[in-house]
Amino acid sequence: MMSISRRTAAAGVTLAAGAMLLTACTSSDGAETTSSSDGSAGGTKVELRVATFPPGADAAAYEAFATQEAQFEDANPDIDVIGVEYEWTGPTFAVQLAGGSLPDVFTVPFTDSKTLLENGQLMDVTDEIDALGYTDSFNPVILDGVTGADGHIYGFPRQAYAMGLHYNRDLFEQAGLDPDDPPATWDEVREAAKAITEATGKAGYAQMAINNTGGWQLTAQTVSRGGRTQVDDGDGTYTSTINNEGTKATLEFLHDLRWVDDSFGYKVDLDWGTINQEFAAGNVGMFTSGSDVYTALVRDFGMEAGDYGLTVMPLEGEDPGTLGGGDIAVVSPTVDDATKAAAIKWIDWYYMQKLMNEAAAVADAQALADAGQAVGTPVLPVLSRELYEESQTWIADYVNVPVDQMAPFTDRIWDQTPVGEPKGKTQEIYALLDPLVQAVLTDENADIDALLTQADADAQALLDQ
Amino acid sequence: MTADTVTPAPSAAAAAPPPPGPASSRRAVRTMRRRPSLTDSDRSIVSDADRRQPRVRRAMAGVHVFLAVTLVLAGLGPLLWLAKAAVTPTQDTLRQPFALWPNGIDWANLSTAWNDIHIDQYFFNTIVIAAGAWAFQLLVATTGAYTLSVLRPRYARVLNGLVLATLFIPSVVLLVPLYLTIVDPPFLGRDHSLLNNYLAVWLPMAANAFNILLVKRFFDGLPREVIEAAQTDGAGPFRLFWSIILPMSRPILGVVSVFAIIAAWKDFLWPLLVLPDPAVQPLSVRLPAVQSQTELDVFLAALAIATIIPIAMFLIFQRVFLRSAGLGGAVKG
Amino acid sequence: MTTTSPAAPPERAARRRGTPATWLRSGGLSRLAFALPMILVFLVFSWTPIVRSVVMSFQETNLLTPATWVGIDNFVAVLNDPLLGTAVRNTLYFAALALVMGFPIPILMAVLMSEVRRGKGVYSALAYLPVVVPPVVAVLLWKVFYDASPSGVFNTVLGAVGISPQPWLQSPDTAMPSLVIEATWAAAGGSIIIYLAALLSVPPELYDAAEVDGASIWRKAWHVTLPQLRNVIFVMLILQILATAQIFLEPFLFTGGGPNNATVTVLLLIYRYAFQNSLGGNYGMATALSVMLAMFLAVLSWVYFRLTNRWSTS
Repeated sequence: MMSISRRTAAAGVTLAAGAMLLTACTSSDGAETTSSSDGSAGGTKVELRVATFPPGADAAAYEAFATQEAQFEDANPDIDVIGVEYEWTGPTFAVQLAGGSLPDVFTVPFTDSKTLLENGQLMDVTDEIDALGYTDSFNPVILDGVTGADGHIYGFPRQAYAMGLHYNRDLFEQAGLDPDDPPATWDEVREAAKAITEATGKAGYAQMAINNTGGWQLTAQTVSRGGRTQVDDGDGTYTSTINNEGTKATLEFLHDLRWVDDSFGYKVDLDWGTINQEFAAGNVGMFTSGSDVYTALVRDFGMEAGDYGLTVMPLEGEDPGTLGGGDIAVVSPTVDDATKAAAIKWIDWYYMQKLMNEAAAVADAQALADAGQAVGTPVLPVLSRELYEESQTWIADYVNVPVDQMAPFTDRIWDQTPVGEPKGKTQEIYALLDPLVQAVLTDENADIDALLTQADADAQALLDQ
Repeated sequence: MTADTVTPAPSAAAAAPPPPGPASSRRAVRTMRRRPSLTDSDRSIVSDADRRQPRVRRAMAGVHVFLAVTLVLAGLGPLLWLAKAAVTPTQDTLRQPFALWPNGIDWANLSTAWNDIHIDQYFFNTIVIAAGAWAFQLLVATTGAYTLSVLRPRYARVLNGLVLATLFIPSVVLLVPLYLTIVDPPFLGRDHSLLNNYLAVWLPMAANAFNILLVKRFFDGLPREVIEAAQTDGAGPFRLFWSIILPMSRPILGVVSVFAIIAAWKDFLWPLLVLPDPAVQPLSVRLPAVQSQTELDVFLAALAIATIIPIAMFLIFQRVFLRSAGLGGAVKG
Repeated sequence: MTTTSPAAPPERAARRRGTPATWLRSGGLSRLAFALPMILVFLVFSWTPIVRSVVMSFQETNLLTPATWVGIDNFVAVLNDPLLGTAVRNTLYFAALALVMGFPIPILMAVLMSEVRRGKGVYSALAYLPVVVPPVVAVLLWKVFYDASPSGVFNTVLGAVGISPQPWLQSPDTAMPSLVIEATWAAAGGSIIIYLAALLSVPPELYDAAEVDGASIWRKAWHVTLPQLRNVIFVMLILQILATAQIFLEPFLFTGGGPNNATVTVLLLIYRYAFQNSLGGNYGMATALSVMLAMFLAVLSWVYFRLTNRWSTS
């Protein structure tokens, strides 16, 4: 056993080394080339500022990045990559955007790409995507999100996720629950939460509620109960449908956890980062978030891998789906041509190649694995499902996430209907929904119907602006 | 400069310790020099005769106990707790916040905070910001006050009015336009945006009318004879400023320095806006940003480290601090 | 102090109106050199932004497209924002709570401290200590204190005296008072020192006179000390209102305005208009609200200035 796995590992290393040589030397590999160095005439290096990690990422993440940066710079001696700390959050993003201090290459969520490109805040990359030959390989639904009214493409979809239910296996065991048979309905979630709180005193279930994430998760759970918060009229206008049964059921669910079962815990001011922190510290039994959050949980929050469990969102009601999202790699609209060319090379090398090129995928996985970073976190394909599943076999040797503990998710996710986030004024409406979540969690007598009616009217007013 | 520092404290110099009766600014300044400390015992409500009564004596003992307990609990308590928690493992702090190291002391928190959160770097940034803000504020306040008080060119009146008028404009109104000025500086254009440049913090802080008022009133109170004698001896404006005025102005320069450094050290919203790059951010901006990604014990260690320098400065320069606080009215920061 | 000025000979006699040449010879240039740092920083970082603020409140601008005039649309939009009422109410609530909790405490402490003969220096230092803690650190530390679990720092203290755990920042009812308690803690020391300074300057003759009349300790406190403090108290009152009207740091770092908008303040709303919208700020609405707030505050400042000026020169 030992020797076999060691041999495979060794083979992997050789392969990866070969891959690096390959990427370093070839410049005639057609669409897959990463280093067409014909632009290096000037002799001066192009400085390229690229987004790296959110604040607080551990040193190992930067080590992995440094390795990849060095590989890229070896292959592209005319480009000097400068990593810039970056995180998409409402406030800092808006400030950086307005101030022009964004990196040259950064990522934005699907939800904001449409508005950004319509505002002229993203660089047109149609020709570049064409030249790379990717235009037809993208999942058309996803590509649509980065295509402007003019038919031009403004970014590289690079990663997608589906919402999932994350749970702490250790707390499940302490509560006498079977961690290999996680809850499949919202009622079971409620029971499990109650059991966990009673057995351990920890929050059985928690949910994000501030900084727009409350609205985000409320929307996700609405969809999982067959509701929708917004209807796209198809003519550029949207109709708010916040006052629907799915949203109502979600708010009642939260209310009951908090006030009837007392299994919600006492923290109602969590957002994406802080709920990860609480979960990683073992204070939360279950919560919903993107399926790719494991990477951050171990990288930034020190999660104990053995405690982690992931399953699909419970679905119920008519026409339920699973909210998905993702982000696209984009280029700042203000860069000059040389920087733009460098930016495209970087995006292709850093984000895209590993999705479609075995050598690049292996090199990427190895660099991450060597630095102790998560490899194999479940995501959704931005290209085809076949290619995604094939790519998983390429890097099988490097996968270091607890795959078995994620099986409840990976086994079932393909049966769920993916639903995109609402398109009209997404973030503003998420912000408007935050107080609804907070209201049912902080006011035992909150009038849910009145809240929904009011929020619906406010949202429609926003959409009609 | 920003809203949270709440600067509009017009003429608080004259107002704060308002000696009743005739208290011109000149007097205020002189009293300040004459009485270097608040701790000199003075006549107060309870007279010596009162104090000889046993009942009063018992009451005064009670006052002592009350003050000692309240002030130690409120003033020192939170800081002592922070010092303890900084070297306590997270779970101990969460489960038994008042237990003294039930599972031993975790000194590693401090080094982890120092190395992994790069407290050293942000500490350095904070010092650079404070030093620059101090230099620019002192430069503008002294030269400006010198112009308005001593040189008095014909346009001094207008200038004085314009500067004083800004005292009535709360800093909040400046927030957005000033931010846009930094993003898109006049004459330079957006390509030379001052974002992530310390000048974006230093220069707006230097446009502080309160400092100019404070220094100008002090200059107004300097003996005219000395100035005129120097001028008769042929001292030019620069020599007069450098060799005569400034050496006589040490007390007020000390006060302005304390204000400037504290304000820069405390500022949050403005650096948050104009220094988006973490590499140049001060501690005040950085600490909230890393909170959600940092384990509690390490984070508390970081908070403790960030508190040590101001506390140490305070303990060393206690007299200057307290005198400035007494003088400066409610200038927060 | 690196202002280099061409040291022109001091010819004060020649300081009259005249040609540029005489202006130059009379040292006009060096005078200008001294005025220049002040003129420049105020022009660029104070006067222009103030004017620009007023202009922008009548414009729609997002930094990307040229600004367009929209009349009073921004003001209308702000006044129609349902959050404005909430923000104003919350700000008033904060101000009122701060007044009730934060205002009398420093006066009382200062009076007591001025009476003790020994240890005054130590007491002053202790009282001032919280002021020295950087405000951001103070808020983040208190956020830990406010942990709402039964084993949170404050809840442990409450538990020791038999009070059930409080939700602190996690409930709309207790969030604002929690903010005020921290703000009071952070600011009281500064006020104490100011009152202490004022108490020290009460003329001793007044006490002597009162004692000749046989006044008791309480009568002296009530009829001599408090009237003498009246001006300072009033000044501090206005300064506190000015400060609380612009409260930002506490709601921003403690609660972000939550839960359920219970701690959204006016300044937080301005910040949100300008900087929190994920896709570019609504600078017009932000400046419109700033201008409205500023007018209110400017009136207060003016009253304050007039009063202090009268008192300090009368």
